[in-house]
Amino acid sequence: MANILVCDDDKEIVDAIEIYLLQEGYTIFKAYDGEQAIKILKEQQIHLLLIDIMMPKLDGIHATLKIREYSSIPIIILSAKSEDNDKILGLNIGADDYVTKPFNPLELVARVKSNLRRYTTLGNLNTDNNALFQVGGLCINDDTKEVMVDGENVKLTPIEYNILLLLVKNCGRVFSIDQIYESIWNEEAIGADNTVAVHIRHIREKIEINPKEPRYLKVVWGVGYKIEKQ
Amino acid sequence: MGKEKKEKKKKAPQRANFALRTILCIVQHLCLGIMVLSMIVVVCSSTIRVQGFKGNYRFSIYAQDKNRAYEESDIFNSIFGYAAADIIRCGVVSSQLETDGEFDGGRVIDVTAYNYRDIGLPEQYVTADYRLEDLLKWANYGFEWSSSEMTREQAKNFLADKTRLTLMDSKSKYYNTSDASYLKSDIDSYTYVNDVSANRLWVETDEYDGFVDEYQSQYGAVNTTGIIVSDSDSRYEVQEVESGTGSYNIMVNRYKTIEGKNLEEYVSDWDIYYDLCHNVQNAAKSLSYNYSEYLNYKEYYGRNNSNVRYLIMKTVGDKTQIYSNLDDGQETENIIEYMGLAGDADDELLRNVGKYVYYSPADMIYQTNTTIAEATIRKILQDYDYAYPETVKIWMSVDTAYPVSDAFKQGATGYENYLPYFGQCIVAAIAACVLYLILLFYLTAVTGQDVDTEGNPYIRLQSFDRVPTEAALLIVGGVAVLAVWVMIVAAELTDIDPTDMVEMAVRLHEEQWLTGIIAAGVFAVDAVAMFFFYSLVRRIKARTLWKNSYLRRLMHKIKQFAWRVYDNGHIMVRTWVPYGIFLVFNFLMLILAFSGRGFSRGIALLIAVILDMFIGNLLYRNAKEQQEIVKGIETIAGGQLEHQVRTDNLHGDNLTLAHSVNSIGNGIKEAVEISMKDERMKADLITNVSHDIKTPLTSIINYVDLIKREQVDNEKVQNYIRVLDEKSQRLKQLTDDLVEASKITSGNISLHFEKINLTELMNQTIGEFSEKFEEKNLTTIMNVNVSNAVIEADSRRIWRVIENLFNNIFKYAMEGTRVYLTISGIPLDKEHIEVSIKNISATPLNCNPEELTERFIRGDESRTTEGSGLGLSIAKNLTEAQRGTFEIQLDGDLFKVILTFPLAEM
Repeated sequence: MANILVCDDDKEIVDAIEIYLLQEGYTIFKAYDGEQAIKILKEQQIHLLLIDIMMPKLDGIHATLKIREYSSIPIIILSAKSEDNDKILGLNIGADDYVTKPFNPLELVARVKSNLRRYTTLGNLNTDNNALFQVGGLCINDDTKEVMVDGENVKLTPIEYNILLLLVKNCGRVFSIDQIYESIWNEEAIGADNTVAVHIRHIREKIEINPKEPRYLKVVWGVGYKIEKQ
Repeated sequence: MGKEKKEKKKKAPQRANFALRTILCIVQHLCLGIMVLSMIVVVCSSTIRVQGFKGNYRFSIYAQDKNRAYEESDIFNSIFGYAAADIIRCGVVSSQLETDGEFDGGRVIDVTAYNYRDIGLPEQYVTADYRLEDLLKWANYGFEWSSSEMTREQAKNFLADKTRLTLMDSKSKYYNTSDASYLKSDIDSYTYVNDVSANRLWVETDEYDGFVDEYQSQYGAVNTTGIIVSDSDSRYEVQEVESGTGSYNIMVNRYKTIEGKNLEEYVSDWDIYYDLCHNVQNAAKSLSYNYSEYLNYKEYYGRNNSNVRYLIMKTVGDKTQIYSNLDDGQETENIIEYMGLAGDADDELLRNVGKYVYYSPADMIYQTNTTIAEATIRKILQDYDYAYPETVKIWMSVDTAYPVSDAFKQGATGYENYLPYFGQCIVAAIAACVLYLILLFYLTAVTGQDVDTEGNPYIRLQSFDRVPTEAALLIVGGVAVLAVWVMIVAAELTDIDPTDMVEMAVRLHEEQWLTGIIAAGVFAVDAVAMFFFYSLVRRIKARTLWKNSYLRRLMHKIKQFAWRVYDNGHIMVRTWVPYGIFLVFNFLMLILAFSGRGFSRGIALLIAVILDMFIGNLLYRNAKEQQEIVKGIETIAGGQLEHQVRTDNLHGDNLTLAHSVNSIGNGIKEAVEISMKDERMKADLITNVSHDIKTPLTSIINYVDLIKREQVDNEKVQNYIRVLDEKSQRLKQLTDDLVEASKITSGNISLHFEKINLTELMNQTIGEFSEKFEEKNLTTIMNVNVSNAVIEADSRRIWRVIENLFNNIFKYAMEGTRVYLTISGIPLDKEHIEVSIKNISATPLNCNPEELTERFIRGDESRTTEGSGLGLSIAKNLTEAQRGTFEIQLDGDLFKVILTFPLAEM
């Protein structure tokens, strides 16, 4: 399986992550500062890096910058800094994902898996098929009515599937509840209704790792819903 | 190196500039000097003064003379004209005194004929003949009269028995002509007539009557038109005496006539006697005068004293007289031969004669090689037509070699010395004038301009420019007075009357050094005047003319003093004193205006009006100042705490007020800044602390989770782990909320406003919370009373508000109750929209609505349930940050939240 490098100056956190990831069958390398991480990266074949920002010697941001000079492996930043600006900075300098502490261990594992899949297995996807819609790790095959998230099959109800398909087909466009209702049910939306909102929520719970911080199906509060362009 | 060079380059012309300006300034003064010098030369030299016979003549040279020779100029012609007049006159005088070109003392003068020479002689007249010598001597000695007492008989006997009457032959050439008949010594015939009465003249012959009348009338005419001034004293009335005797005036016969007789021997009547005496007197005086003139003419137009040559040939009858200053040899012969040719001139004869004029009225010949017109000569001749018969021939020439220094020579010298330089002088004067003006303008423009070491231009003042304006004016006045005094003294010393330009010009012409002095004077005056002028220009440029004056300082002092009194005065002083002064002054002025008259009345009214206007202006300014302050206060009140009321133009209470307002503004500003800073520091602290809490919290959560995964059979331990899990999750929530709450209150968030549909938002939220609410069996009922519920807000923040409120409901609402959501307009307010959320609380609410939004206040005082206690606080602050209002109403168990937002502009 894949080799994962975990880098954090807090040894207990590294150990805890090691336990979770070992259970999933990954090989774990441990580092406690940026320099160590870079050294190990040079010596070993590493497939994914989990790195903290605030570390002695070389911090996570600078380490990421250096690593990006020669490597394109998935990097997930793991930080207590939860400000928007911190997240934007981390993602902009080359990280693939950003997880704030304290994190849900399951979510972290899910993200690791997701990123690894994207890195190792995806990329050779057949895009010739007209019935195939893809947004990032989200892939819909309209022929087989199958929905794949990071290569894993997701089961959706027909209505959920239709809503998701509508949004994916019009990727980036914001649909209001009424618009979605009229498209899916082919009826005029009379009055306010939260049916669509409930469906959307269900879809999010199925396709997102953390529904509160969705990667694909985003809520534009007070306006509608959309699939973010990747 | 390069930089040094640049600086050098920059500096070098600057120094040169000043030297150049000084030189230019001197050149400017020089120009004026040259201009004045040239003008003096032009004016003075254009006037030529020559010594004529009758005094000095003055002639002007004009530019148009430049291309003419001297002999063709008006000057030459004028001098020639004067000379011609002199010579013709000289011929007249000579004809009376000369015989064959020489003075002849023995000539016989017929005195009556002489007196009548210019009006012609009558047919018969009474006369006596004297020798010329005797008459001249007699005139020199003077005529004497003696008085004698005679009876009528004695008187009759004193005179001759008969009057000798000279008869003119009517065929004679002399009769009744204006010819020089007095020259004739041969008397045609005499007739003696008897005088019957002493008082009355009567004659035997009939012819005589006519003579007396004519004689009487013509006698008077002599007095007025003759050259000899008539002497009316010589007429005497015979005084009748009662005793039969009378007193008779008798002229003393100093000389006898050529016949050796006394005058009384020629007449038998006293009246005629007196007339004859008078004729003798007049003839003698006239001849004496002419004799002296004759001598002068001979001297002045003598061959050795003049360049003029003349020959006058006069033929009367068979007698030819020649008056000339030519030598007796070839010259005279040539001219006489020339005259004889009568116009068919032989050039050979006129060789070396220079410029000439020949005039022969009888032959109608006028010949000349000058530009003198015939009319000129004829006009001169007309004055002496009694002396010149038509047969006269006049020759006049000027030796153009000018061997003798006479008027012609003087004219020639002046003309030739000056005329070639006339143009140059005028050009020099104009050039100097133009250059002067150019320099004046240029120097006026650049004076004082300078560049300081940094290359910034500024006006450099000289030491005199710093003298206060009034002092400088005094100095200027002093210098001007001094200059005028010097000029007056100079005028006195040199004896020049500056008002008599002509005389001055002549003086300048003759005394050339004066010109130099005047030019130097002009130079000096200009130098001083320009020094002051440029100083004035520099003052104006540097704006120190007014600034650097005593008047301004004085006014400034007065102003300062007035304001100081005003600023430091008591409120009474500040209000009532000026008002009182104002009233009293106005009153006085009105009294003056009504009691005074005319001019003073107008002045008083004018002063009053000016004062009132001044006061009005003061009041206006005061009001304006107050308005400024009010504006400033409003600006500060409006939130611009950094605003400062301008205090430069304020005085008195307004100044104090403005200072107070400014300090209040500053105080508020500082307080707000400090508070903001505190909040920000607090937020930073909380952020940092929360970050530090999160790291260990991560381990706690992870390890609790790991323990959960271990198969723990002990129920108790499982329970403990559950608590640990819950509390660690809550701690996580708490830190997040804490950070967010502090950020919102410290204003440390950035909002991105967009159009939000509240209905959509509510539906989305209900969708999000549907499962949670189902869990607690809560039903949502939404009412939308407006067609368009679009507001402007930050999408994520407003979701946070609604999410917090829903979470609140989820946590604290009584299970199985309904939740009401209403979106409605506000009556009478079309710009806002209201959202109300109502639910029934599970527990009684024992607190103020306000406290609920305070941090860490929760409905249940015990704080046992989950939640950070920050939810409502965050919701309220975020709502307000998005220009909305947030209000909680508690009515028993009814928990009601009312939000209002401004509607978005469509």
